Amino acid sequence: MRKPPISLHFAAVIAALALAAPQPLEAADKVVKIGALLPMSGPGSYFGAQDKQGIELALEQLNKTGVGGVKFEVQYEDSACSPLPATQAAKRLLDQYKPDVAIGEECSDATLAIMPLMEQAKVPFLNAGSSSIRITQPGNPWTFRIMPNEVMQGIDIATNAYNRLGARTAVLLYENTNAGIGNAKVFNETFTKLGGKILADIGFGRDINDFTSIATRIAGLGKIDVIPTYTLEGQGLKITQALAQAGVTKGGGGGSIQLGTIWLPFGFEQKAGKASVGYVRIVQFDPTDKREIVRGFIDAFKAKYNQDPTHLNAHAYDQILLIADVVRRGARDAQSIRDGFAATKSFSGVTGSVEFDNTNQNIKMDTIHYMETLPDLSWKALSWN
Amino acid sequence: MLTVVLQQGINGIVVGSLYVLVALGLTLIYGVLVQINFAHADIVTLGAFAAYFFVHLFGGNYLLSIAVALAVGGALGWVMNAGIFAPLRERGSELLPLIATIGASIMLENAMLAWFGPIPYAFETPYSNHVIRVAGMFFTMQSVLIIVVSTTTIGLLYGFMKFTFLGKALRAVSQDRETAGLMGINPNKLIMLTFVIASALAGMAGAMLGPVLVLTPFAGTSVIVKAFAIVIIGGFGNVEGTIIAGLLVGLIESYTTQFLEPGLIDIVVFALLLLTLAVRPTGLVAEKREENV
Amino acid sequence: MSDADFPHRLPAAARAAPAARRWWYLLAAIAIALLPMFFTDSYWRTNLIVCAINVMLAIGLDFIVGYAGQLNLGQSAFYGIGAYVSTLLIMRLGVPFWWAFLCGVLLSGIAGMLLSLFAVRLRGHYLAIASLGFAVIIHQILLNWISVTQGPLGIYGIAPPPPLRIPGLPAIEFGNLANLFYLTAGFALLAYLLLDQLVRSPIGETLTAIREDEVSAASLGINCQAWKVFAFGVGSAIAGAAGCFYASFVGTLVPDAFFIVESFTILAMVIVGGMGTLIGPVCGAILLTVLPELLRGIGDLRLIVYGVAVMLVVLFMPGGIVEAARLTVAGLRARLRAAPAGAGP
Repeated sequence: MRKPPISLHFAAVIAALALAAPQPLEAADKVVKIGALLPMSGPGSYFGAQDKQGIELALEQLNKTGVGGVKFEVQYEDSACSPLPATQAAKRLLDQYKPDVAIGEECSDATLAIMPLMEQAKVPFLNAGSSSIRITQPGNPWTFRIMPNEVMQGIDIATNAYNRLGARTAVLLYENTNAGIGNAKVFNETFTKLGGKILADIGFGRDINDFTSIATRIAGLGKIDVIPTYTLEGQGLKITQALAQAGVTKGGGGGSIQLGTIWLPFGFEQKAGKASVGYVRIVQFDPTDKREIVRGFIDAFKAKYNQDPTHLNAHAYDQILLIADVVRRGARDAQSIRDGFAATKSFSGVTGSVEFDNTNQNIKMDTIHYMETLPDLSWKALSWN
Repeated sequence: MLTVVLQQGINGIVVGSLYVLVALGLTLIYGVLVQINFAHADIVTLGAFAAYFFVHLFGGNYLLSIAVALAVGGALGWVMNAGIFAPLRERGSELLPLIATIGASIMLENAMLAWFGPIPYAFETPYSNHVIRVAGMFFTMQSVLIIVVSTTTIGLLYGFMKFTFLGKALRAVSQDRETAGLMGINPNKLIMLTFVIASALAGMAGAMLGPVLVLTPFAGTSVIVKAFAIVIIGGFGNVEGTIIAGLLVGLIESYTTQFLEPGLIDIVVFALLLLTLAVRPTGLVAEKREENV
Repeated sequence: MSDADFPHRLPAAARAAPAARRWWYLLAAIAIALLPMFFTDSYWRTNLIVCAINVMLAIGLDFIVGYAGQLNLGQSAFYGIGAYVSTLLIMRLGVPFWWAFLCGVLLSGIAGMLLSLFAVRLRGHYLAIASLGFAVIIHQILLNWISVTQGPLGIYGIAPPPPLRIPGLPAIEFGNLANLFYLTAGFALLAYLLLDQLVRSPIGETLTAIREDEVSAASLGINCQAWKVFAFGVGSAIAGAAGCFYASFVGTLVPDAFFIVESFTILAMVIVGGMGTLIGPVCGAILLTVLPELLRGIGDLRLIVYGVAVMLVVLFMPGGIVEAARLTVAGLRARLRAAPAGAGP
């Protein structure tokens, strides 16, 4: 058989290349580049994995039609929940990807390390997960935070515990990190000022595993109305079970109510079982919220990932949505996105509303939802906000 | 108050006996090989995951999963000895196996992270939430199980070391390998056996720790540093010493939590470690051992 | 320590003569000067600075472990002491940078000497665990003594070293990454020079004697204890210097940066590079700093590769990079000599 002429080979190759090449964007399409600094390795890595799910869902939905002719693209860098890797990841992101806007981190330590770099590079930095007051208090014009800070949350929950739950005694339980210590301190101050009494103030390291001893100690303290607990899911599960085993909390036949925060995801109850009955907590995301945007989000998330969304998925989703909102209002580059954020007054996402004050902190408290765990392990929304 | 003190005592013994299981493996390996296996922690973690998947993925019985973890641990010990310690032993190097196990540890942890993901697993067993209340104190069936299994295992091991031929041969090899060889004992086979036993213990400890710990790929590391301290305080290669030291550390943990702060546990334990090294480096429990410390 | 731990060491006669060495140093200085010109983006310049810091940590550790034969697993503690002491002096008491730096270095050195004195009778694995215990305690103190160190809350906004003003020249700002690299790499080179001088002097021979056989050394009248303490002090002081630079470079200080895992990574750098040589740890530090960055593209797998790399080196090339290089060179030389003239196609 004769070999086909060279020209046919050539034509075939060109045709293959043409078909394989990415379709060129129409002239009107612009791409806004989003840099995502998330913990992908190390102990914080489960934050990063869940954030990524929320981000991917949002991008998929937005890029179907684009926003005002703009499409979105994201680049992930691993900041590992710790200052040095976060610094290196941020530098790599800024130098090589040159994003128009950046989102991240979850851990306050890492966020605080990244902020000065973003300011230097003049890239707006949107945070949804870190609670340290130092992120917004000094007033960094390039950093924005959706989530209420530890002071806002702490005052709110302490006041509600005193007034709505009638609590007069409390035991503080918290992990020895920036976020844990900060939150506990605010609760302590607010509760004491109102007239309540703190019976014990117990901080523990992230490496503590067995909470039976801590629960025993708490059981020996007498009548405790509330136990504010500031820790991540892993240890939080153990604490809740240990407190129930010791007969301290409602779930174990006692009278104390555990108060928790946004760090425990939806689905915690299924893992903790009966021990979590009576738990009252703040969540950033209320899956029983009837608003259409929330129902739509839950359906789309379930369809894509075959699981229920957690608050981590939700707040990452909202970060992208907020960027899209700013773009809808006309922003196209770093400076205009920054200005767009600052001017946000009435954004409504799946976690709640956003309005930034002059330190770029979201002052709308409806991103704080209170939930109580019922005996059948479902949530009852307490409309305290 | 008495109730609380007693309760914390029991808590301490429960935690302590788990530490003993982990530390025993280390001390056995050291006794025979004069080597530290830094990847021991990861064997514990892998044992825990093996048990978890046996129960939650294959619907197996929890008690059986402990046996599964034991087997997995033993297999890993075999692999580590064959792959790392045996080849390096021929070269006569002291320090290099340590480094190799550090590399192995990093590799295993991150491989687990890639396979199992970073989200903590909730390892439930029929015993972990079954609470018994007696005289104002509470126990979970899981802690009862832990004490029963640990005590039995430790007792069996102790008996094995003291009264069987194989056990005595092991101790001979740990005291003087060459002479033991001259007596007709094959040191290499015995070292392999030691590794398998030690790692099987670690795997089993993992299966029992799984429901107690926060189960992530890094679960073992939270235990291992204390295990090292226990091994020193008890005396490297000294089985009785390790048992006593392990229980002691468990008790230190619970009483420090009760009367001081949980955050101070590590400082107290390691201060005790340094004290031991300063005053009596061969360990608090004396054993007739000729060793150049 | 046995000879089997150092399969790659050159016999004394084969080591470079003084004149040749000066050329190598000049080359190193030139390389340092040129590097920031090749790597102009701040990401890579950051990596260069981290390399320089890791080089200091590695050569300091190697002096203790490879030359004096003391198995030190507590290098992270000295690193941390240097960082925290200098930073706290600067930020709480307003001490000028270079005085604080000096204090940091001195205190780390003293801590190293104290640990060595404490552990002076301990050998091998006991020393290893003792140093590990020391590292854990220091880490816990940094973590729990919140009133002084801020603990997990961290210290933020640490300034880079103050500008250097040489009359007649414009001020050298250290916010500029290239300048900061010159500073840290310059110090690393100085540390290397210092250690090199020590190693080639009679002190080096004394340490080798102690490492190989302490009993015989003592019988020769060598005060082993004093020399071990000395070696520990030098190695830990260098680690302290690295810590001071770390703090002013990252700008943020948290106790977890000095967790005991750091001790292991530094030891890995020493081993992978070639323990018992000085150039070995330099290579190991550079490789193990740059490798995870280059592998970032692989995502989750990069740390697995890191661990595997360490294992492979230990199992197959225990002398590390230095040994591999030496074998390659020797192999090439042998081949060149063996090739007959006019060999056919």
